[in-house]
Amino acid sequence: MSPSEVLFQAANATNATNGTAANATNATGAANATNASAGGAAGGSTFPETLSQFLGFGANPDPGLQLLFGLVGASLIATIFLTLAAFAGIWGKRKITAAFTDRIAVNRVGPFGLLIIVADAVRLLSKEVIIPDSVDRPAFDIAPFLVPFSAILGFAVIPLGTGLQLADPETGFVFVFAASSIASLGLLMSGYASNNKYSFLGGLRALAQNIAYEIPLIVTAASVVVFAGTLRMSEIVAMQSEALVTIAGVSLPSWFAFVNPFAFVLFLVANLAEVGRNPFDTPEAPGELVAGYMTEYSGAYFVLLYLGEFLHIFLGGAIIATLFLGGPAGPVLPGIVWMLIKILAVYLFTQWARSAIPRVRIDQLIEIGWKGLLVMSFANLVLTAIIVGFIA
Amino acid sequence: MSLERPSDRSQAVGVTDDGLDYDALADLLGDTVVSRETHRNAEAFVVRPDEVQDALFALRDEAGFDHCSNVTAQEYEDRFESIYHLKKYEDPTQEVSVVVPTPRENPVSQSAEPVYRTADWHEREAYDLVGIKYDDHPDLRRILLPETWQGHPMGRDYNQDKPQIVTLESHANPIEDDHSEDGSDTMFLNIGPHHPATHGVLHIETVLSGEQVVHVDPDIGYLHRCEEQMAQNGKYRHEIMPYPDRWDYVSAGILNEWAYARTAEDLAGLDVPEYAQVIRTMSAELCRIAAHMLALGTFALDVYGEFTATFMYAFRDREVVENILEDLTGQRLMFNYMRLGGVAWDLPEPREEFFEKTRDFLDDLPEKLDEYHDLITSNEIFQMRCVDTGVLDTETAKQYGTTGPVARASGVDYDLRRDDPYGYYPELDWDVVTAEEGDNYARVLCRMQEVEQSARIIEQCVDLLEDWPEDDREIQSNVPRTLQPDEDAEIYRAVEGAKGELGIYIRSDGTDKPARFKIRSPCFSNLQALPEMATGEYVPDLIASLASLDIVLGEVDR
Repeated sequence: MSPSEVLFQAANATNATNGTAANATNATGAANATNASAGGAAGGSTFPETLSQFLGFGANPDPGLQLLFGLVGASLIATIFLTLAAFAGIWGKRKITAAFTDRIAVNRVGPFGLLIIVADAVRLLSKEVIIPDSVDRPAFDIAPFLVPFSAILGFAVIPLGTGLQLADPETGFVFVFAASSIASLGLLMSGYASNNKYSFLGGLRALAQNIAYEIPLIVTAASVVVFAGTLRMSEIVAMQSEALVTIAGVSLPSWFAFVNPFAFVLFLVANLAEVGRNPFDTPEAPGELVAGYMTEYSGAYFVLLYLGEFLHIFLGGAIIATLFLGGPAGPVLPGIVWMLIKILAVYLFTQWARSAIPRVRIDQLIEIGWKGLLVMSFANLVLTAIIVGFIA
Repeated sequence: MSLERPSDRSQAVGVTDDGLDYDALADLLGDTVVSRETHRNAEAFVVRPDEVQDALFALRDEAGFDHCSNVTAQEYEDRFESIYHLKKYEDPTQEVSVVVPTPRENPVSQSAEPVYRTADWHEREAYDLVGIKYDDHPDLRRILLPETWQGHPMGRDYNQDKPQIVTLESHANPIEDDHSEDGSDTMFLNIGPHHPATHGVLHIETVLSGEQVVHVDPDIGYLHRCEEQMAQNGKYRHEIMPYPDRWDYVSAGILNEWAYARTAEDLAGLDVPEYAQVIRTMSAELCRIAAHMLALGTFALDVYGEFTATFMYAFRDREVVENILEDLTGQRLMFNYMRLGGVAWDLPEPREEFFEKTRDFLDDLPEKLDEYHDLITSNEIFQMRCVDTGVLDTETAKQYGTTGPVARASGVDYDLRRDDPYGYYPELDWDVVTAEEGDNYARVLCRMQEVEQSARIIEQCVDLLEDWPEDDREIQSNVPRTLQPDEDAEIYRAVEGAKGELGIYIRSDGTDKPARFKIRSPCFSNLQALPEMATGEYVPDLIASLASLDIVLGEVDR
């Protein structure tokens, strides 16, 4: 039985019952259903494998077909998130910021101003790619590709629900952080290669910031691994499906955000720095560094960098969802929808922070990273290890 | 040189119970004084050009004139003249001018910079526009015009028709000096003239060591529009009043207009009806609220980054003020509402509606200010960024001639509305806001509290206007159709603008146009203190300090 069928039946079953108890069954039933899907993924059924079996090639077809199915899956996932970036980055960002800042924002082009996405895409892509004098040529060109690439690469191991997981290696946890860290290289390259002092400062800031925050980020995430006892993403998700407490028939799932809220908050803060949003948007720092490492980019290159930023926010959201919010788990709706909701919730949080929180100075940021978050994340890790050690 | 000044003001030479004793000051200056002149605002001592520093040191240290408010330069048929308008921060009604004539063939006089730091820029401007050279000046370059400019536009010999042909190559290339070879570990960075945080076209030449600022040099003049010359080509009665709106153009128009109105009225001996004074006071304070809201919003912009909630909130509330001002004056920014001897017209009919609208705004204001305090000033990150950054201590603030919220946040208790009363302010109940810290945070708080005080003033004015008897609503006094002040009458008068002491010097030559019209811009003096605040800080603090000065380039460059 495919995961979606399970879901369908679970929803039907709960719809049939009425009364006050129905809500409870609804929640638990659907949660179980999605658990089943997550469990299915843990059982080694990634999207290319599912596709292969569906088309009758068996679980382990020849390498050429494996590559083909892998590419199909990769393009599907990339398309989903690029569409999301266009939607949230061009239209959603304006609407959200406008709501925070007492404005109306786009409402002229198309319904709710949605066609602004098309208009902006055409506008941005039709602009000239200006290559300033004496930029460091290969680096200047590679950087805009590296940034979005690293974010998309990270999505490969994220269980997106509804069977959408490209690969599920045992070291998925390590892979996702390794992939997203490549972006720092892109930022440094763009900053250094641009032959612009603002870009240069922005690139250096980005690097200093990412080093200062990636360690707490990973150490905090490691506390989740200590709980889960595995680095495989699908198993981490499966771990969170069990009920933590059940009050009056409503069970709270054992999402790590509930199990270890301290780690969740730490991760959320470190993630803000990782994706470079207020109060940690120093690498871009509009108002100080003009646009930081992006200053000299235009046209399609700028689009790529800009896209990369949003993809990184989404990847950050996906990691948070996977590690702390039970991955694609959720009632009624399919797993992928829940996953997107959780990702967008994290995105909304970054936009909220951007609208309302001042930017810290770079030296303060480094201080918070090395003296605050790092210490706290290690304390969290040690405490978690002790607790897990005693329980187990 | 000593920055100390006599702490006990009764010890200062020349101070008597009923004002200044200029004879005592003349005795103090002794032989340096060549002769005396009488200006409308104060006595003036004529000093030999090689004894300027002696005279100014004596006036500063012995007589307590610690505020060099303005330096006016002008050219007569037979001589150049620099006038130092001196005041006291404790009591700005005690004024004295020091006039330094220099021969036309050799216009060199001693610089006042060692006495008053603020004279640095003022003398550069005098050199730039009029052509007087100053001995001992640390850095006598052009300030408003480009380095390559030919001639001095406010001098008599200047040929306006001669084209200023300057090739691109002859302009100094800012990145020409390359020190990267000689092992230097600093970096030169041009901030501006096009930069998101400079609030207009300001160019700051900075030298960075890592992220820290080791040297700052503001380069101004990109928005120089010959405001002084334009005013000199206008007739007193109607043709000058529109210009002040364009100095501090963001929202302080009526405050600027008042500077001209006050100066010209005192010069020509015009009265202003009391009713008009109340309207002036009310509209000016509305402008101050609008200007301070903008200052708050843009400061938040530079600390938060991009268009954030705080910026839009400040604009939302400023909008309400703008609407009220539009009802009153028919304009939202370039009001042109004041007239010599009063205001252009009475309050809009129906008056009740206008009063109600104003009252509604005042009633909502405390809640909105609480919102700002919630959102901005009580935010810990904001405090982390602003407390103890960009510090300007009291003595430095005075040396640089800073005024307005910038000076008041540095512990200089100086507000012309109270200290040099005009308008209806003396009759009203309000307080001068000061703070001791002198950091970015104090400047923000000062502005926010001044909004509250302005609201108090407006409230009282509305009460007064509401009860004003209908047959006594005189909005303008009787002003002659053509104003021709006495020949050679000179006056320097200032009002408390949104950014500080906005003063105007006018010399009349007996015609209906001023012979010399000099604007003392508070932003000009305040901006000069930026290097003191920003050197040694990080780049973000430089940006924040600049924002906390709340400069408007239209007023800096004029």
